Amino acid sequence: MSRATRTALVRDDRTLYEAVAGTAVGLSGVAFVVGLTALLGLVGIDDPVAGVGLSVALGALLLALGASVVGFGMASRFGFVDAAPQPSAGIVAAVAFTAIWGAVGAAASGAAGVGTGGRLALGAVLGGTAFAATAFPREDVGSTAPAGALAVLCGLSLLTGLIAPGWERALDGYNATLFGDTVVPAVVLFASLVTGWSAAKAYGGFGARGRNVGAYVLIYLVVGSILAVLVGLVAFVAAKGLPGLFNGFSLGGSGLVSWPFLTSGAGLTAEVAGVFPALLGTIWLVAGAVLFAVPTGVGAAVFLSEYAEQGRFTGAVEVATNGLWSTPSIVFGLFGAAFLIPRFGNQKSLIAGMLTLGFMLLPLVLITSREAILAVPDEYRDASAALGVSKWQTVRSVVLPAAIPGVTTGVILGVGRIAGETAPILLTMGGGVLPAKSAAPDVLGSFRLSASPPFVSNPSLLEATSALPYQLYALITAGLSGNIQNPQEYAWGLALTLLLVVLAFYAVGIATRYYFRRKLHQ
Amino acid sequence: MPFNTSQTGWRARIERRLTGAREFVDDTDPEALAVVTASMGALLTAFIGFLLASPWTAVPFGAFLLVTGYGWARHQALVARAISLAMTTVTLLTLGLIVVFIFAESIPAFRYETASVFGVSVPGAGMFTQARWDAVSDPVRYSLLPMIHGTVMVTTIATLVAAPLGVAAALFIAEIAPPRVRELVKPGIEILAGIPSIVYGFIGFTVINPWASGAFDLNGGSTYLFVGMVVGLMALPTVVSVAEDALTSVPDVMKDGSLALGATDWQSMTSITLPAAFSGVSAAVLLGVGRAIGETMAATVMLAGVPRISDPLVNVFYGYETLTSLIARGYGSANGVHESALFAAGVVLFVTVLCLSIGSQYIEARMRRRLGGAE
Repeated sequence: MSRATRTALVRDDRTLYEAVAGTAVGLSGVAFVVGLTALLGLVGIDDPVAGVGLSVALGALLLALGASVVGFGMASRFGFVDAAPQPSAGIVAAVAFTAIWGAVGAAASGAAGVGTGGRLALGAVLGGTAFAATAFPREDVGSTAPAGALAVLCGLSLLTGLIAPGWERALDGYNATLFGDTVVPAVVLFASLVTGWSAAKAYGGFGARGRNVGAYVLIYLVVGSILAVLVGLVAFVAAKGLPGLFNGFSLGGSGLVSWPFLTSGAGLTAEVAGVFPALLGTIWLVAGAVLFAVPTGVGAAVFLSEYAEQGRFTGAVEVATNGLWSTPSIVFGLFGAAFLIPRFGNQKSLIAGMLTLGFMLLPLVLITSREAILAVPDEYRDASAALGVSKWQTVRSVVLPAAIPGVTTGVILGVGRIAGETAPILLTMGGGVLPAKSAAPDVLGSFRLSASPPFVSNPSLLEATSALPYQLYALITAGLSGNIQNPQEYAWGLALTLLLVVLAFYAVGIATRYYFRRKLHQ
Repeated sequence: MPFNTSQTGWRARIERRLTGAREFVDDTDPEALAVVTASMGALLTAFIGFLLASPWTAVPFGAFLLVTGYGWARHQALVARAISLAMTTVTLLTLGLIVVFIFAESIPAFRYETASVFGVSVPGAGMFTQARWDAVSDPVRYSLLPMIHGTVMVTTIATLVAAPLGVAAALFIAEIAPPRVRELVKPGIEILAGIPSIVYGFIGFTVINPWASGAFDLNGGSTYLFVGMVVGLMALPTVVSVAEDALTSVPDVMKDGSLALGATDWQSMTSITLPAAFSGVSAAVLLGVGRAIGETMAATVMLAGVPRISDPLVNVFYGYETLTSLIARGYGSANGVHESALFAAGVVLFVTVLCLSIGSQYIEARMRRRLGGAE
């Protein structure tokens, strides 16, 4: 109550305390980023920084951060600053610090050569102390003292060289050794996370607002790292794959563009080894799966949402659809191998692959189409019915056109997912490791009519055919070697091609969604 | 007495159905009815022919196309309804066929691994009561325990990665992010789902495994630790999108009430949104676990492919084999009981993931009911 009279309703002035706490959050961020670059090997942990090794400098930084975090708590506890701490830091923080300090105790005593019993005992003692220190004092102390002490401990062990660049420790019985090169960055990453959270709480003045700031810092960090991983992955594959993808690429000449990596096979006659057969195989594979799954899925969605009464049958279909959606791809592969292969000439074939992927695509199409059809407002149907239009005419001319955007988006995203699937086609479609251009399927040109059943045949549908993801797998199992000039470069080019094909589907799907949504809101 | 009433109810229902069907037949144009019957009959014959692997399958299928084409031109409404019904049954049929075929193929392995449990001989018990998988040298045994151990290790690590990060990212998208940022982050996470698993595996095989081998001085580069982290990254988008759906389905009035009482955003999230969406969020985690269990290619490429249990059990620095990688690696070269044992591994996978899926659907349905009632 007394606080309300002292503080302004809107706090727009930056006090010194907030400035220092904000700086501590920023420095923790810096330590986190430096730790990450060291873990990825972009900088060495013994690189000189201001005359000392990086690990010593980071140790000093952690020590300072830890001390200041403890200082924030004390400043608030003894009333030097204006904060709104709650009576306790809460059970979540208490459990987290118990676990952290318990692990520290066990690891430290293990490093000192104590047996299992001793390790458990020290871990329990430290964990219990941390629990008491977090849960019992007021929040400003409870959420800073254990965090600050941890950072101080980590900082001291780096500063004194207890854990230093040359440090190593074999894990007995674990077939592994820990080195300073990985442990130092890991320690820095962890300690900076803890101090960052604690300093952010201090910045918010503890209490509800402080918890808000602390949680937001962690969540922003998580989302930032996920996006960084995504961008890093795509950029990494692109950087490694571009030389292979553009091998022998030239503009001009007879065909305007000459892109041998995409237009030639990997046979002896090919000047530049290319992925044409696998690319064509993937295109046919996707086309076949779409031809099977899209009409089936959309038809089923229409029946479920327009004709069927909600009951046991629709419930069973829904459970079956969701079950199929989460069935592992390798199980679809086994199913294709047991069900389709004996019925299509007893060997791995393009059509078996198409149908297997079609079975996988079916639940995706059904779920998204059904959502799209259910999203069509009932007013549309009522208006059509009021005009005396029959049920089917309404579905055909009103409901389906209105649902097409959603259906299209769902289909494109689903296709993107199955285009990159390897496990099902590994068991059903096979194909060569480095197929020559002559191995590319010629589906349209090889339909044959015959007088005996089954009357229509197509040998190229019944042949084992390569596809991009399968070829990448086959190259890996062949040890990234083969009868071509630069197998490594070829494999990365292949990976980039596959990634681009799949991402193109996703980009088109997401763009379609945005286009239709903006049209809808106009 | 209750038995009697249920029986009469049963009869009444059948009678109602029959009357309904009779009325429908009476109301419909006889020619349309004949066309639809012929078309569905032809489709059913074609399906049976395909099941029996008969070369004559093409004949009824051709007949189906002809009759349906004629019916589409003359009696579109009825034909469309019949065909969409047939398409709906395809889903049920697919699930049924998967169950029948992979179970049927796995029977020889279950028979081979018959072991007695408490004096009763149980087929397949030998897969879970001893730990030797060796398809080549005597004694030939097909224990699935090493692979189950591998799957559990990988899935546990993957869940530890995917669940907290996924829920945090879902909270960010659903509650925290300003609209512009959300429009950027959401497609980003969808794209993460689109990166093919073999590309992850390729990066793992060429970059992570060699790095781990050096950084931890390993005997070979395969580790459950890093396979689990990669698989966790792959399961992450599933967790994010399902959890985000659950969080956004919490009615705004509930959050607004909390904010109007002066709670901070984080307080509203932890005490209103998350508890209300708890079932949905746990369903998301379950589905993520299912994805991690079924993930194949990254595990196949990154693991060593030795069916053995690591020692000590929790040693994450070994990377032997999971159920999925066992199938992917072994399928081409296996035959006889060995091949059948791979199908048995598939059965274990399928049943586990199906249970997870049904469990998460049950949880979600419960949440929808509860939120519906609260509104």
